[in-house]
Amino acid sequence: MMLLRLITWPYVRKHLLRCVLTTAGIVLGVAVFVGMHTANQSVLYAFSRTVDRIAGTTQLQVSAGETGFPEDVLDRVQAHPDVRVAVPVIEAAVQTGIQGQGNLLVLGVDMTGDRALRDYDLDNADEAIVDDPLVFIAQPDSIIVSRQFTERTGLKLNDKLTMQTMQGPRRFTIRGVMKGDGLASAFGGNLAIMDIYAAQMVFGRDRSFDRIDLAVREGVKVEDAQRSLQAALGPGLQVDPPSSRGKQFEAVSRIYSLNANVTSLFALFIGLFLIYNTFSIAVTQRRSEIGILRALGASRGQVQRLFLIESGIAGLFGSILGILLGVFLARGLAVYVGSFFGEVYGVVERAQEVSAKPSLLVFALLIGIATSLIAGWIPARSAGQVDPVKALQKGRVQVISEGENRVRRWTALAMLAAAIGCVFLGHSSFFFYTGYMLSVVAVLLLTPALCTWLTNLLRNPLKWLRPVEGALAADSLLQSPRRTSGTVAALALSVALVIGLGGIAKASYETIREWADNALNPDFFITSSESITQRSFRFPPSLGDELRKVEGVDEVQAVRTARIIYKDTPVMLVAADIESISRRVKMHVIEGDAATMYPRVARGEGVVLSDNFALMRKVHAGDVLELLSPTGPVRMPVLGVVTDYSDQQGTILMDRRVFIRNWRDDTINAFRVYLKPGMDREAMRQKLQNEFGGRTRLFVMTNTELKQFIERVTDQWFGLTYVQIIVAVLVSILGIVNTLTVSITDRKRELGVLQAVGGLRNQIRHTIWMEAISIGVLGLAIGFALGAVHLYYILDVAKRDLAGFRLAYRYPVEIAAVLVPVMLGSALFSGIWPAESAVRGSLVEALEYE
Amino acid sequence: MIHLTNVTKEFDGKRKVRALDRVDLHIAKGEMVSLVGPSGSGKSTLLNLIGTLDKPTSGEIVLDGQKLSGLADDDLTRVRRDKIGFIFQFFNLLPSLSCLENVALPLHLRGWKRAKARDRASELLDLVGLGKRMDHLPDELSGGERQRVAIARALSVYPPILLADEPTGNLDTHTGAEVLSLVRDIHSRLGATVLMVTHDRSVAASCSRTITLRDGCVVGDGTA
Repeated sequence: MMLLRLITWPYVRKHLLRCVLTTAGIVLGVAVFVGMHTANQSVLYAFSRTVDRIAGTTQLQVSAGETGFPEDVLDRVQAHPDVRVAVPVIEAAVQTGIQGQGNLLVLGVDMTGDRALRDYDLDNADEAIVDDPLVFIAQPDSIIVSRQFTERTGLKLNDKLTMQTMQGPRRFTIRGVMKGDGLASAFGGNLAIMDIYAAQMVFGRDRSFDRIDLAVREGVKVEDAQRSLQAALGPGLQVDPPSSRGKQFEAVSRIYSLNANVTSLFALFIGLFLIYNTFSIAVTQRRSEIGILRALGASRGQVQRLFLIESGIAGLFGSILGILLGVFLARGLAVYVGSFFGEVYGVVERAQEVSAKPSLLVFALLIGIATSLIAGWIPARSAGQVDPVKALQKGRVQVISEGENRVRRWTALAMLAAAIGCVFLGHSSFFFYTGYMLSVVAVLLLTPALCTWLTNLLRNPLKWLRPVEGALAADSLLQSPRRTSGTVAALALSVALVIGLGGIAKASYETIREWADNALNPDFFITSSESITQRSFRFPPSLGDELRKVEGVDEVQAVRTARIIYKDTPVMLVAADIESISRRVKMHVIEGDAATMYPRVARGEGVVLSDNFALMRKVHAGDVLELLSPTGPVRMPVLGVVTDYSDQQGTILMDRRVFIRNWRDDTINAFRVYLKPGMDREAMRQKLQNEFGGRTRLFVMTNTELKQFIERVTDQWFGLTYVQIIVAVLVSILGIVNTLTVSITDRKRELGVLQAVGGLRNQIRHTIWMEAISIGVLGLAIGFALGAVHLYYILDVAKRDLAGFRLAYRYPVEIAAVLVPVMLGSALFSGIWPAESAVRGSLVEALEYE
Repeated sequence: MIHLTNVTKEFDGKRKVRALDRVDLHIAKGEMVSLVGPSGSGKSTLLNLIGTLDKPTSGEIVLDGQKLSGLADDDLTRVRRDKIGFIFQFFNLLPSLSCLENVALPLHLRGWKRAKARDRASELLDLVGLGKRMDHLPDELSGGERQRVAIARALSVYPPILLADEPTGNLDTHTGAEVLSLVRDIHSRLGATVLMVTHDRSVAASCSRTITLRDGCVVGDGTA
């Protein structure tokens, strides 16, 4: 501690700006980690809270994924000896149409029994109606809303609230207002209760329920009741505690969480190089101080510990600042993530409170400190090895010895060879990730040698541009390979990250566009919700027959989509008229024979899987899937695998007749409508809207609009990628500023000499600018190469472990072209302040500087 | 050649320090002058002011007929690079440049063509006896050799004024004597005005004139 106070503190005070820049990498890394995870957790937590609050005293829930199940299941549940009370529930999010209020979560319940599980805690109600459920049911326009909702909207008891229902817009009467922090505060207070049978009509559920909430008899263990009820109902229905819904949501949003982890890890990795770089330079600069300490009796261990403690403290401060910044960022991100989950996963949630889990903050603090300690370890070891005699000699420059460089080069080449070996050794995760890690580390280890080699190449062009300044800039880079290579490595990592993300984005956009052009070719998509991912409302099948009769309509395909649970993971089931679809859409077939598989699927002999489903779950054509339906397990052979990007969790495509038979559900989410040739699309759209819109909730989306929606969702997904890119560029700019600031301090005397022997201010400025741009060029060159490798691996990661999407390798040349001016401009910009500080200081002080 | 009139230099810090106090000085063209005095007497400050590395708080300095007051930094740099050669105690060579490149550096800064600058630099390295070590880096040379390179660099543009700050201060006696002899030789062959700060009495004695400073004032000015 004494050494810290006497040695470190004065150094920190003297180089405050540098210390701040050094910790910036950690600050950003931790901030991104905390921000993205806190936002994610807040939305997940809000979802769990909504589930908890809606659940009331519910101990178990019976469900069948998103598909719902017939009403008769309720009788079987209620008749079970372990069940004390069981009530049906329909749950759906609807738009109120009230400005700024977003979605209203409507809970359809059976008022006669529901209060045994849920306390409505009424603040204000027409007692006669609410106290007597039969009166409530007798008036199917009754709804109960929360006090928070009435306060926000200015509505009050007995006011009318209009909602779009399957029967068109309908006015509901507020017959009760709930207070308190329980049920009323679920979904951020945007909650409404209505009678279950009204909900069936409003949401087009026909005679089915979404789930059954139940409480077990006194004296019966919940786990026992769960087992016994599950056995009684069969595997098609799931019996789980309410908390399992949160877990399913977490599973659905797993890719988002992984994405957040990758970004923060990269930011931290870049930060690691910044810290390593600055501490290496600090050791070089403070070698005389270290020499004095050693001469005065400090042991190697003490010196090493001093530097390690310094890096730990830098990590601590960086992490604390990063946590504060991250929590601040999370507030904005939570809104984004909430709407993103709604658009991408169809799960609507409002995160009212943004609070980070203490365990997350502790973890962020630890990884920030650990990153800093890892980064500081090599410089600390070098500090411990400083020879006190040499350290006290003036004017010696510490460079990486040729021996050390040679060892690095050979190690790197060996790692590269091993990485290439891993590519050929097979597709096991162990070899894949080992190869990935080895190739990145090898390029980073080669960075000093590559820097020297590339700078030697750059020296002549630089000299051609400016004979003196160019040569000096190149020499400065060559003179301190450790200083140069640390920053170049950080910059190269940033560039590689951007190339990787850009490559994924490019491949995704191109592949999804290609798929959308091919698969989504109807003229219109008629949906029951504003968004195609929302599945709250459903059409009756009769609507399809009516649509077919409309003059000008050529063909109508009914599609039912629902998330079902397959081996504990929610996946997308798409039930459609396969014969018609296979005639109209030529999907890219990966496994199976298009000529035979579609007719077989149409006959109900099996299913076709999306490529990502098959890849992530390692299923192939010929395998048999066991799907759980409310009527029991359905065993379906896999007849083929096709390219399909409908869902990140993968899709199972089956004929709708199979679905109706096994799920006993003939409702429809969307109709794909083909027009006869030569029909005016806009006129037909108006016609459909006029004919059906007045009596049913219906949205006619054109082909272009659907593709725009997909593009928007893709944009939203890659919105996170842009955050990652900004972080990467920002951290690398900090790296250049840091390096140049340190470099200027390091070369204060040298720059003084240049001016003393006749160098004009502009010549000094140009030297530093050229040095900055050269660092940019080196970072870009190595980053582009590393990016090519990184892209190869992350495309494979996306395929094998993330979404199972098989994306083509397309180097993002456009992004690389944009990166050139951005990075070089940033590098030049980063060099402006250090250059000015170099020419504005006292020349006498500079010449005396040691 | 060098005229100082009533030159004062003060440094602002926690307390104001007057390093030079109304100094009047005239050094004629071709003179070889030593500047002596105890530590803190203002020798190096005076050398820095004459060398245009620093500006006086008050007073006037004229070099080779050109007044320095009122000149911008870049104009001072031009004066420095055209009229002044510096020899530093710690050589101040750029470690990444070879001897030849170090010597040619001031010429490049003046925009000389590469070949012409190389010719001049090799001529000067021959003059200081390092013709065979042109491609060596400073780290590969002894202290005396490094100072010779520094002298060759100072002479690269044949400046009319040569300023040396303790040129033998970092060398052993024998090497110091060799370097001093080289400076004297150059002085006699090129006719430059030499002003040399030194603590060493024998070095001072080798100059034709010795100026003594104490507490920022000239307290002695005698010829040998």
